[in-house]
Amino acid sequence: MSPRAVTVAAVMLVVGAALMTAARSRAQTPPPPSPASASSAEVRRGADLYALHCASCHGAAAQGTADGAPVLGAGAAALDFVLSTGRMPLADPRQPMVRHRSEWSRRDIDAIVAFVVSLAPGGPPIPAVHPEGGDLAHGRQIFAANCAPCHGTAGQGAAVGEGADAPDLHDARPVEIAEAVRIGPDPMPAFDAAIIGQHDLDSLVRYVVFLRTPPDPGGFALGHLGPVAEGFIAWCVGFAGLVVIIRLIGTTT
Amino acid sequence: MIRRLVLWLDDRLGAASFARKALRKAFPDHWAFMLGEVALYAYIALLVTGVFLTFFFTASGQDVVYQGSYAPLRGERMPAAYASVLRLSFDIGAGLVMRQMHHWAALVFVAAIAAHAVRVFFTGAFRRPREINWLIGTGLLLLAMAAGFTGYSLPDDLLSGTGIRIAYSVLLSIPVVGTWAAFLFFGGEFPAPITIGRLLALHIMLLQGLLLAALGLHLAIIWHQKHTQFRAPGRTENTVVGSPLWPNYAMKSAGLGLAVFAVLAALGGLFQINPVWLYGPYDPTTVSSPAQPDWYIGWLEGALRLMPNWELRGFGHTIPEPFFPGVLVPGLLITIYALWPFIEQRVTGNREVHHFLDRARDAPRRSGVGAGALTFMVLLTLAGSNDVMARFFGVPVETVTRLLRGVVLIAPLVAGWVTYVVCRELKAAEGHSGAAWHLVRRGPGGGYVAEDKET
Amino acid sequence: MRPVERPIAAMLVLSICGSLALAAVYAAGGQPQLEGVLLAVSLGALGAAVIAWALRLLPQESVTDVREPEPSPPAVRAAATSALERGEEQLTGRRTLGRLLLGALAALVLVVFFPIRSLGPRPGRSMFHTEWQPGTYVIDGSGRRVRDGQLAVDSVITVFPEGHGGSPVSQALLIRIDPALLRLPPGRETWAPNGHVAFSKICTHAGCPVGLYRAAAHQLLCPCHQSTFDVTLGAAPIFGPTTRALPQLPLRIDADGYLRATGDFSAPVGPGFWELS
Repeated sequence: MSPRAVTVAAVMLVVGAALMTAARSRAQTPPPPSPASASSAEVRRGADLYALHCASCHGAAAQGTADGAPVLGAGAAALDFVLSTGRMPLADPRQPMVRHRSEWSRRDIDAIVAFVVSLAPGGPPIPAVHPEGGDLAHGRQIFAANCAPCHGTAGQGAAVGEGADAPDLHDARPVEIAEAVRIGPDPMPAFDAAIIGQHDLDSLVRYVVFLRTPPDPGGFALGHLGPVAEGFIAWCVGFAGLVVIIRLIGTTT
Repeated sequence: MIRRLVLWLDDRLGAASFARKALRKAFPDHWAFMLGEVALYAYIALLVTGVFLTFFFTASGQDVVYQGSYAPLRGERMPAAYASVLRLSFDIGAGLVMRQMHHWAALVFVAAIAAHAVRVFFTGAFRRPREINWLIGTGLLLLAMAAGFTGYSLPDDLLSGTGIRIAYSVLLSIPVVGTWAAFLFFGGEFPAPITIGRLLALHIMLLQGLLLAALGLHLAIIWHQKHTQFRAPGRTENTVVGSPLWPNYAMKSAGLGLAVFAVLAALGGLFQINPVWLYGPYDPTTVSSPAQPDWYIGWLEGALRLMPNWELRGFGHTIPEPFFPGVLVPGLLITIYALWPFIEQRVTGNREVHHFLDRARDAPRRSGVGAGALTFMVLLTLAGSNDVMARFFGVPVETVTRLLRGVVLIAPLVAGWVTYVVCRELKAAEGHSGAAWHLVRRGPGGGYVAEDKET
Repeated sequence: MRPVERPIAAMLVLSICGSLALAAVYAAGGQPQLEGVLLAVSLGALGAAVIAWALRLLPQESVTDVREPEPSPPAVRAAATSALERGEEQLTGRRTLGRLLLGALAALVLVVFFPIRSLGPRPGRSMFHTEWQPGTYVIDGSGRRVRDGQLAVDSVITVFPEGHGGSPVSQALLIRIDPALLRLPPGRETWAPNGHVAFSKICTHAGCPVGLYRAAAHQLLCPCHQSTFDVTLGAAPIFGPTTRALPQLPLRIDADGYLRATGDFSAPVGPGFWELS
């Protein structure tokens, strides 16, 4: 190949890689930076975004309407949580909030949060969380006592009645887990620092992250659904296979 | 060499006369007759793997501090029983596979018994002279379920411990003697430390002793009475046609046994079952979702979930709600099931000896009842997983429960009626060349009269 | 080797390979999936070979056995009945002794009763009381006393009486709720200081811990059989098989701001039983 062709190819590779990295990081909406005071430019940007995407349901001054709860004083954690996890915007206000791929960039989320917080301070701030400093066994205990009843022993999620769902935790990022614990998004109760302290939170988040890929040495985990899935396999794989075998061995007269 | 062994035995036990007939005994080859054999081999697998497990299990509710290789539980206080199961699963060579094979074998064991019982029911194989074996078979089914329940409760993990708590509460709900029954059976108010040791004694000793004895009787009676068979040209009520025991049937059976073990080995290695390390040790102050028992207890769980909140209270006493779905209704169902051969004899008036089997269509009323009962049991079992189904279908669990309350009463009637009609029509379509049998009586005038009897 | 034998030979060789591979895997430290699959191969291939041998290589013959009627000939039946009767006469003939014999056997039933009675303690009054007393401090799972203000509104924690942390029978749920929403049964007006309500965590249906709290709706759900309780109405049942509310623990806040019980639960905890009125 000529030197020119090599140079062009190299440039294309580098540019392509850069674009892909940018696209990936945009799609993953990186976690928010540590809390810092918002600039007035950011607040104005947030105000514009809010007016465009949120005001129709939540009111121009975040006071709420028939379609959307008031978000005045909800706090940075709550706002960041629903935006980062794609729960908002919600197309149909009568539907429950569920996790989606977030449409927002980190900049946009920070801006909207800064704007709403500027309207009224208060509410839980975005929690700091350091899973690597947590203790895995301690986190397991907290999870078993507080979270497993609704979210399942492996964080796979479960129905919690009245059509509500405690979601699967496998896609949740550490900050999102911490935010949910602190704010208690409907129908979840809130657990503030007096119940789950900082070390408890770090440990809990570490365990939840561990649950994304539990060891499962026994083989196919069957969704960690327990005896329901196991019974299904026993009949449809085990017993069914044996019926095939006895039909081969025996006669039909 | 085998010939010399047989002669050696004959010198001491007179074995040759037994062997002469036994080795040529006829065994019918129909595939549906092998369902019981599948259960038998699953049981043998349970015994072999079970003995291995008992060498590693500590049947104690005493707390120890775990220092094994599963990191999320390191440093935690837990019952010694639970710690021993963790050790077997993570730190003993082939331990996890043996444990999983044992548990899969239990699920397949009860499935095979259930399928075998359904076959026996719909073919009328329980009719005279086999009523005793039907009763023994009912006992085997109940013993297998009890063995399974006590077995999976041994690790004292959060999921099975919740099941033990529910069993205690159901026992408590029995009128007059409930509190005594619960305290005596469990060794005190729940949770009593002695319960685990007691479950082990039941599981490996008492229940196995009863199972082996009942199984031995069951097989001995089949051997003595000879197996039933379907009608076919060249067969009569008084003969049984099949492969000779040796070498044909023995080889087929041995091959089936190996196949059963192979399927259980594959399940034991490929599909994770009862991952107790994820549930954590039993803690009476917490619970996990979803919470179900193993499949064969599912019908009881479903009954507990569907039963509305009706309770009897008066004169200073209570008959609590769990009594009805947990004790009364199952008790009635099991009683009717156990006594079915006698119920059918009384209703049809048919007390004759039968060695030929019916096809489902030959006994429309029996088949209708069977279809209805089976539908009822399957729906109750599904109801036991109402929350899992609710999440899967995106429907509120309350809706699933309310819907199933109605369906579980109506669907069996519909299924039973439809089955009855279909069987009756099929039977009528083939006219009297079908499986109707004839009773010949001496009439009043001295001649002979043939009556057709519907079974 | 004849052509018909070759597939069977292949299966037997496969079985041997499976067994050898399994030994190798085990010796190398083991791996559950490989162990299971290789064991399945060694057993399954052998089984398939044996079955194929039985179906393809053995001469397919059919034997016929004659069924003898079960009932024995009349002479034998008569001999058996008279042998039985000979013994019966002894018992029925000597009346007083026969009755005393039956009486002794019946009395033996009493003796059998003792080992059964020893299996457990008498139920007694333990079903009606827990470890909560008037003045008992409320502690959390770590053993710390709970203060007023520690729990945010719509939060829930599991609590125990001080000195009995982790007690299965005394376990309770402490929930903080907006006092304006409470519509407790009459007589409990002072039981919920500052919106703190406490209920037994043991479900009144079948005893599972009522571990799920839908905070915004103020409803507790038991995952076992979906019994649902409304906290604002004093944990009264609103759905599911349960028939009774969760017993409530009366609370007060003392001078130092700690939560304390003022007595035991409003009713016996847990599932119902015969002696419950």
